[in-house]
Amino acid sequence: MASLTRRIQKETERLTNDPVIGISAHADPANPRYFHIQIAGPVSSPYEGGLFELELFLPDDYPMCPPKVRFLTKIYHPNVDRLGRICLDVLKDKWSPALQIRSVLLSIQALMSCPNPDDPLDPQIARHWKEDETGAIRMATEWCRQYARG
Amino acid sequence: MQSAVPRNFRLLDELEKGEHGLGDPNVSYGLDRGDDITLSSWTGMIIGPPGGVHENRMYQVRFHCGPNYPQEAPQVQFITKINMSSVNPHNGIVDPSNFRILGNWTSQYTMETILVELRKDMNSGANKRLAQPNEGETY
Repeated sequence: MASLTRRIQKETERLTNDPVIGISAHADPANPRYFHIQIAGPVSSPYEGGLFELELFLPDDYPMCPPKVRFLTKIYHPNVDRLGRICLDVLKDKWSPALQIRSVLLSIQALMSCPNPDDPLDPQIARHWKEDETGAIRMATEWCRQYARG
Repeated sequence: MQSAVPRNFRLLDELEKGEHGLGDPNVSYGLDRGDDITLSSWTGMIIGPPGGVHENRMYQVRFHCGPNYPQEAPQVQFITKINMSSVNPHNGIVDPSNFRILGNWTSQYTMETILVELRKDMNSGANKRLAQPNEGETY
């Protein structure tokens, strides 16, 4: 197994000792590059009151390449597909080694507050969002109640 | 040495490769259900190799990837009927003790490896001339 960089150790410590409000991240006991994440649905979003599980993996090239992240809890969101994969610029071309696990999780939390139907991963949900935002938000709230009870 | 990629991220990589058709053009594979968040149940297709009884036949194969994949091999089962030494004639299950890739499994192998090796095995001396069920029959 590739050596665990000092940077990853530092980030892990900080995530544990100085956690972000509404986000918890724990390294897997068997694989220090694999993290179990929980994000509380942001206040005033359709996901408020829900608890969302995600998983995150730091590939060997991290921090030269971004972490891989996906939702394990079903979520009705135009930038998340049915397998939980996330469309987010910092996970792709806007990644920079100056970013961290923490910044990625904050960006995901922000994406939950501000869905972006103009850059969709799930075209059907995005269309719903653009044509009937109230209905889409109602659906997101309903899914949250059904699947994200924590 | 590379660090171990967790099961789900490894399967997402395989899915992406399968979706984009980046591998061997004679085999294909994908998730059974587009919303299977557990990434467990997969279907593959093999186009029979030329020069034997399997030429131009299409074979459908089902994979089940358990919680310990890729440390443990998936279960592999033919849906399309086939007469082949490594395949149980009653239910289509590929017998790991008769199929090297499954019997000597390592986590470097993928579902694509299995499909490609099954295709090769169809043209082995033992299999090439075996009488086959009618085309398209299923178990």
